[in-house]
Amino acid sequence: MADIVEKWKKLREPGYFGKFDYHWGMVIDLDRCSGCEACVVACQAENNLPIVGEKRFAQNREIKWLRIERYWEGEYPDAKVTFLPMLCQQCDQAPCETACPVFATYHNQDGLNTQVYNRCIGTRTCAVYCPYEVRYFNWFTYQWDEPLEQQLNPDVSVREKGVMEKCTFCIQRIRDAKDQAKDRGDRVRDGEVTPACVQACPTEAMVFGDFNDPDSAVSRAAEDERHYRVMEKLNTQPSIVYLTRVEHHD
Amino acid sequence: MSVSVLAALRTFKKYALIALAVIVGFTAGHWVNAAFYSENAPVQPIEFSHKIHAQDNEIPCMHCHVHVARSINATVPSVNKCMNCHRNMPGVWETPEIVKLRGYWERQEPIPWIKVHDLPDFAYFPHKRHIQAGVDCANCHGDVAGMDRVKQVEPLKMQWCLDCHNERQVEHGRDCWTCHK
Repeated sequence: MADIVEKWKKLREPGYFGKFDYHWGMVIDLDRCSGCEACVVACQAENNLPIVGEKRFAQNREIKWLRIERYWEGEYPDAKVTFLPMLCQQCDQAPCETACPVFATYHNQDGLNTQVYNRCIGTRTCAVYCPYEVRYFNWFTYQWDEPLEQQLNPDVSVREKGVMEKCTFCIQRIRDAKDQAKDRGDRVRDGEVTPACVQACPTEAMVFGDFNDPDSAVSRAAEDERHYRVMEKLNTQPSIVYLTRVEHHD
Repeated sequence: MSVSVLAALRTFKKYALIALAVIVGFTAGHWVNAAFYSENAPVQPIEFSHKIHAQDNEIPCMHCHVHVARSINATVPSVNKCMNCHRNMPGVWETPEIVKLRGYWERQEPIPWIKVHDLPDFAYFPHKRHIQAGVDCANCHGDVAGMDRVKQVEPLKMQWCLDCHNERQVEHGRDCWTCHK
């Protein structure tokens, strides 16, 4: 136990994530987001997210690793709506990681905040600590009606009751890309990993890649002057950079 | 004054004998099951002998498990692969196991092999990574070449995996998400 704590402390040094092999991150351009929710559907299909049903949805028990938040301004007929895709920010100083009593959530060498389903005992503390509200709890073991179980992704575990889950940045695709890069004896090249949401986005509002590589598409996109991180003042240091919406006023 | 319990026990004698017989029966049954019919060595639809192929005839593993070095799966060969050789081997053409094989070939059916080394669904095990790292097949599968019926010899549990990962100092070999999904 003391051994684990020592190792964990070593990983908590400021700037520790710069030493990682990869630092996976995402840039989301809100100016391009039309709120179509294609990413939400893609995530659902890719990551075996359960369909909880109308009743449980009303009880706020839906599971959506990626959701579109809507912000309304003004009153009808001068109402205006803006969209913000909200998913796990893969914080480098993740509050959830400090909370877990069984180390079920930790930071791995790719700069990912990961969740170990088999370790999770379901205290739900991480969900309380998460300022972005992007952790979801399995209140039930959900069933897939025939023939929907045929489309479950074999590369992703189907979670059971009592387990916390959240966006993994489609870690199965990252692993696959790393496997193929290793076959070549090379690093993963820019653009080789595309999470389901990025792949599905019709307006290409999302860019995914390695922040450790200064020439990657994601690093260049993050240099845009519109960039900001959600709730930056909390010093969670998210791996997701948003580009703010440009507004036109007469 | 002494009280003998023997008289009391005598009335239970019949039940005690039955209980003893049941315990012995279950133990023996369990042992027979584990030794001869366990999942470690299931009876396959065709009594395919790795011993005849890999040891007596010295066919290398990768002659049949072609994709093991470049795929996640070791890949069980198709019936076509079996027939490629066996249609040119009149010496064994009429043996009962080859007659079974020909049956599958004529019906154009795959052979329903029973998986022996079956990892849980949440484990990600790429064969190519291990073969490319120079791990011998026998390291995990035992001496398959000497087996008539394939038997699981290693436990294939997480600690057993980690022992080897630690010993070889595998890069990121202790990260949960390297092997779990």
